[in-house]
Amino acid sequence: MSAEISTKNMNNPVRRIMRIAFSDWDHIQMTICFALFGLIALAPLVIHSPYYLGILILATLYTFTGVSWNIVAGFTGQLLIAHVSFLAVGAFTTIVLLDKFSISPWVGILISGVAAALLGIAIALITLRYGLKMDYFALFTIALMVALRTLFLKWELVGGAVGMWVRLTDNSFMKMTFQTKEPYLYIALLLAVIGLLIQYRVYHSKMGRYFVAIREDEHAAAALGVNTSLYKTIAVVIGAAMAGVAGGFYVMYVTYVEPTQVFNLGLNVEIMMSAPIIGGLGSLAGPVLGALLNKPLAELARGFLSAQPSGTTLIVYGSFLILSILFMPRGITGLLHRLYLRLQRREKAD
Amino acid sequence: MSLLEVQGISKRFGGLVAVGDFSLNLDGGQIIALIGPNGAGKTTAFNVISGFYKADSGKVIFDGRDITNLRPDQICKLGLARTFQVVRPFQGISVLDNVMVGAYARTNDAHTARSKAEEAIEFMGMQKMANQMASGLPIAGRKRLEIARALATEPKILLLDETMAGLRSGEAEEVIGMVRKISENGIAIFLVEHVMKVVMLLAERIVVIHHGEKIAEGLPADVVQNQQVIDAYLGEAHVAS
Repeated sequence: MSAEISTKNMNNPVRRIMRIAFSDWDHIQMTICFALFGLIALAPLVIHSPYYLGILILATLYTFTGVSWNIVAGFTGQLLIAHVSFLAVGAFTTIVLLDKFSISPWVGILISGVAAALLGIAIALITLRYGLKMDYFALFTIALMVALRTLFLKWELVGGAVGMWVRLTDNSFMKMTFQTKEPYLYIALLLAVIGLLIQYRVYHSKMGRYFVAIREDEHAAAALGVNTSLYKTIAVVIGAAMAGVAGGFYVMYVTYVEPTQVFNLGLNVEIMMSAPIIGGLGSLAGPVLGALLNKPLAELARGFLSAQPSGTTLIVYGSFLILSILFMPRGITGLLHRLYLRLQRREKAD
Repeated sequence: MSLLEVQGISKRFGGLVAVGDFSLNLDGGQIIALIGPNGAGKTTAFNVISGFYKADSGKVIFDGRDITNLRPDQICKLGLARTFQVVRPFQGISVLDNVMVGAYARTNDAHTARSKAEEAIEFMGMQKMANQMASGLPIAGRKRLEIARALATEPKILLLDETMAGLRSGEAEEVIGMVRKISENGIAIFLVEHVMKVVMLLAERIVVIHHGEKIAEGLPADVVQNQQVIDAYLGEAHVAS
């Protein structure tokens, strides 16, 4: 009874926040994501097993990497398949800066973002110069990833084929090295929140409208004054910078990196593509819902199958992708959106 | 000086001359129509003028500025907007969002873009469809959306590529009314059209193109009497009716 009275009070701040949070579909998506992030923040209260915390850390990181790919592939429709190259470059940048120049990873991951963004600019300029689109664009990014892998395998400064390690120390905030899992979880969560907010801002700006216009019809966009080359480049640069930052965190968490591990299409499917595709490519909540559902499921499945680790994960990810593309082409978010529209109609009918 | 001066543009595809030495002047506020048989080069001429094709020779001067080698988006920003013969709505977003893309050509602010878009939508009588997905629009709605988007870019000239094609006569009449209204607002109209009734109703001047070359130009009443035009395009039946 008393609850009913308080909801009728229009000046109630809770009521006001609720109204904003559920005012339209985009806000609802953000509300769902932040509710899930809130649960992740509280998870260490009940989850103490390092194994399960580890899964949660990666799932949280995958929401961030998923967002980075969603902006390029989901918003602008550019088939940047080997997006993992940016993560790889970011990972090597942070570890080299830490190992050879004693630069704190907190600074390192930002420089990683810049380094990956520069690679992004190079990719955008080359593909635009030669008019590579769709499948040709996709093939170019894959070829470039293979070339970079070979280059890094031969490059002694970055450890060659052996790769590089984080020198384990005691807990050190400045060196982003911790004995327990919890700090990594909160860093991943911070990245996830920032990524989600950037994605929202981009989506609701002129830039975001232009991205979507390019995805839907590049010629029509150009006829309406959209500099398609410029905006495609901007999308790649934003996505690349975020993936580079993610790579910096990734190497600090995993504590080692070598070229065949990160310049790797299997990792690319796992870390970049599956979350947005399963969650709903081009939607705001897609990468978050996809990552938080997919990563734990894939890990559980791997636990059950307990065969060769690398191969099985790929089979699991591949199957999830195929099933979701076949049965829910708009992903989890698409299903939720249909539910939302149905509820809205029922409300109107009442 | 005319608002748009097309000076002897040519466009070849391999051995085929799609447009050859085509010239034209268009003043502000005027409505002119480009007619001709299928494959005459009308759409190619549009594509060259609006920057989608590079001209092999000739010049396009718009508002005193050479726009011959500019990109479509630059030409749009200068004030020359176009629609497409095969409509190209952004299917996956709403009608309002579609038109906002056009409105963003003149502003960076979301609120301004929104109100400009709403204006253009109202002008085209599409308020009821504003929040609908573009993919759900019937053909008449798509054609209107195409014009609304172009209008939102605030053009000085609007190039309409067969906007009436595929419309029922009632729908076409509505669109004709809208084109008139656009013209009364001081926007010059350059239209490609197959429906002669539309051309006769709207155009102050007609340009006839055949095999990529201009064969006649003048007042509608004169052009339809021109023997060359009758042979190439209209046929005897039209004159008889």
